[in-house]
Amino acid sequence: MKYLFIDTATTNLVVAIIINGKIAYMYDNNDNHDMSSKMMPVLYEAFEKSNLKPTDIDKIFVVNGPGSFTGIRVGLTVAKTMAYTLNIPIVTISSLEVMASGICGTALINARRGYVFAGTYDEDLNVLYKDCYVLMNGNLEKPYVSYDDFEFETMKPKLNILKVILKHENDEPMNVHKVNPNYLKLTEAEEKFNHDREN
Amino acid sequence: MYILAIESSCDETSVSVIKDGHEEISTVILSQMNTHANYGGVVPEIASRMHVENITIVIDEALKKADMKMENIDVIAVTYGPGLIGSLLVGLMAAKTLAFIYNKPLIPVHHIAGHIYANNLVKRLEFPLIALVVSGGHTDLIYMKEDYSFEKLGSTLDDAVGEAYDKVARVIGLPYPGGPLVDKLAFEGKDTYDLPLPLDDDSYNFSFSGLKSAVINLVHNERQRGNEIVKENIACSFQNRVVEILVKKTMKALKEYKVENLIVAGGVAANKGLRNALSTASLKENINLIIPDMKYCTDNAAMIGAAGYYAYKRGDRAGLDLNAKATIPLR
Repeated sequence: MKYLFIDTATTNLVVAIIINGKIAYMYDNNDNHDMSSKMMPVLYEAFEKSNLKPTDIDKIFVVNGPGSFTGIRVGLTVAKTMAYTLNIPIVTISSLEVMASGICGTALINARRGYVFAGTYDEDLNVLYKDCYVLMNGNLEKPYVSYDDFEFETMKPKLNILKVILKHENDEPMNVHKVNPNYLKLTEAEEKFNHDREN
Repeated sequence: MYILAIESSCDETSVSVIKDGHEEISTVILSQMNTHANYGGVVPEIASRMHVENITIVIDEALKKADMKMENIDVIAVTYGPGLIGSLLVGLMAAKTLAFIYNKPLIPVHHIAGHIYANNLVKRLEFPLIALVVSGGHTDLIYMKEDYSFEKLGSTLDDAVGEAYDKVARVIGLPYPGGPLVDKLAFEGKDTYDLPLPLDDDSYNFSFSGLKSAVINLVHNERQRGNEIVKENIACSFQNRVVEILVKKTMKALKEYKVENLIVAGGVAANKGLRNALSTASLKENINLIIPDMKYCTDNAAMIGAAGYYAYKRGDRAGLDLNAKATIPLR
């Protein structure tokens, strides 16, 4: 089986191609402030280097959040468009689960003003603490895994994409038109609108 | 040649199939206007979110409506700016993905070039021409010597004309988007309020924030004095000033550049006051005036497909690293 994996939710762009349980191509770089420019050239290279065509892909695994709102949309739009037009099954995966795939613990993404996107995963990537948007607090289980800098100790994620793929290989594919980001947070305008309506 | 065009620069997700730059095969437009009306204006993050939810649905519908498959498409055209960056990115990433998968040329299209070429879907453009582009985000006077050659003569120094309309609408208590309502009210009122003619100088630039502030101050002062404001008259006085300066500078450009063709583009091209005034002035000066159908005035992908054809013929191509830009010059 041939799989494509895309994660653009954090500052770390990940594109991987997996052929029969082995990594055929892997881009994993934490220096991509310009995700929208970088994404397609990396995808192009992924197919070139692994000697595949987009039509060869049997399933697309795409990270749909949480994380950078714009970042999530970049990868998700590519994955959706590809899955739609080539009729390829698509499944979504949590960015926090991917971050915790190498070093298990609580994956954190800085959501500003003291808030984090947090999710805790065990060694088999079972969810111990469901992904959420929360004020950073001591109840979150250590170790903390994050690309972001905090005033407390964190470890840089070591990704194990094969483990993630194996975990989700048999997930039921979704209707591509219903594959959407999981922001875990309303927009500020919506929050204010709801607040005003309640008061 | 069949172009699949994608437009997502603001709050409309739109996809079209256009043949040879002038024949519309299919267009699908998904407007988010009702959602943004809750907030009194377009909320960029909400717009981006809705684009990503709808993009594949809109592509699918446009192809189905055209009874075509991606394999029948020769070129992909996409709006890469100016516009809301997060919104633009969704259409752009979808376009890049399609261009990559089907190995088709990717044509970056300037949103304003699209508005101008909307007229090409009605009647083949004749050159040289002057284009007056008026919308919620733009107010530009452009000289075109030939196809896909743009020389900007002037533009707004502050608010776009449509933006000023929406703000004035809000001040006199009309719901968003209030521009069309101001236009309607203007016809029921009289020009009784003393408002300034904005930036009445020798340049081709415009400025509407002063006029907008004058309206805000006027309403404020009248209310403080306990005077009833006559909405219809404010709308009429405001619209008269806006239309007068737009027509004055446009006619001056036509004369100075010795051009006989005038096209109007953008959402405010639907404004009846402006349409009437330009028609009258054009008739008097023997100008060939073209105003697009209402459906082509607001944002749509058909106009991007039309412009994309001429951009393609000019040799415009983009690589897979094409990025969206909030502002870009029209060239």
